[in-house]
Amino acid sequence: MTTDDNELLSALVDGELRGRELEKAMALLSADQSARECLQRYQICRDAFHGYGTKQQARATQKISAAIVLEAKHKPVNVQAVEKTNVISLPIRFWQQSLSLAVAASIGALAVVGVMTQPNIQTVPMAALESTQGLEPAEITVAASKAEALPLNSGNRWTVEEQEIEDRLNIYLVDHNEYAGVSDIFSNARVVAYESGQ
Amino acid sequence: MSMDQELVQRVQAGDKRAFDVLIMKYQQRIVHVITGFVHDPIEAQDVAQEAFIKAYRAIPNFRGDSAFYTWLYRIAINTSKNYLTARARRPPASDVDAVDATNTFDAPELKEFETPESNLMRSELEQTIHDAIGELQEDTAIAIKLREFEGMSYEEISETMDCPIGTVRSRIFRAREAIDQRIQKVMTEGEEQ
Repeated sequence: MTTDDNELLSALVDGELRGRELEKAMALLSADQSARECLQRYQICRDAFHGYGTKQQARATQKISAAIVLEAKHKPVNVQAVEKTNVISLPIRFWQQSLSLAVAASIGALAVVGVMTQPNIQTVPMAALESTQGLEPAEITVAASKAEALPLNSGNRWTVEEQEIEDRLNIYLVDHNEYAGVSDIFSNARVVAYESGQ
Repeated sequence: MSMDQELVQRVQAGDKRAFDVLIMKYQQRIVHVITGFVHDPIEAQDVAQEAFIKAYRAIPNFRGDSAFYTWLYRIAINTSKNYLTARARRPPASDVDAVDATNTFDAPELKEFETPESNLMRSELEQTIHDAIGELQEDTAIAIKLREFEGMSYEEISETMDCPIGTVRSRIFRAREAIDQRIQKVMTEGEEQ
């Protein structure tokens, strides 16, 4: 035991060793009985500062260490194995059913999107079509294509770019609304005016 | 990472030497804690041994969420209570908090169970340490006082004393050697009597 070794053990008692120095100290302790005795003396000295430290300590440490020798060595923990056991295992049938449901939901969603984006779905109000009666086919096409452009995305008011058609639609709606209210047929019906003033 | 954490990792990897160091480091404190429960120093040694064996068996599950000593302290308390229950003796109603026990050696709850002999030994050791420190060089005495009474790390002492950590380490070592010689003398005299 050199002075450096003693200094190393003193630092070990203070918990100030890391890595290579800690390894060196442990190798020293396992190889040299006088190093163990030295460490115990330093530990007694440290404990004495705090009101401990008895002559029985050295004997007790040997007794406990001897008991630990009988215990099996711990094997290094296999992190992957531990993580795998933490995963909840579900039956294959569960995953098959989940997959079927997911596929069905996807097909359903695609169908809805397809219908919504279909170009020849009628988005022109019936009123607009009725109002085109008596017009030439070319005029109807123009009116319909203009009306087609507006509806869904233009806020809460349905506007038609061609003023004449809009006026006729408004008159029709107001008449219809009044008729529905008076006749009590649709007493709860609420018709949204095409024009904010009506 | 603290030295204790590194030692724990080594034990978990199968290095028993590391647990030996942990035993030497903490066994006196653990015996002291257990004596507060079982009141008999010989029984306390046996219960301490059982507690360390339990700790060794459980150490693969120790995740380091608390300090190692706090974890060991709880094992020691539970082992003591089980020991008393098995012998139809009543465990004390209140424990010293594990965190307090980590930070201080001088829990008043534990002092209640000291014997006249241990009190005498304690005061004799205190006087010995006081005398030994009085004979040290000033720098050496300051270093050991900062370490043992203030609980500073080597790094903190080196900042306080404005010197390299290596110097702090040698000063503390020299102080400890001098104090150890005095303590050994007192203990040898005690055994002869």
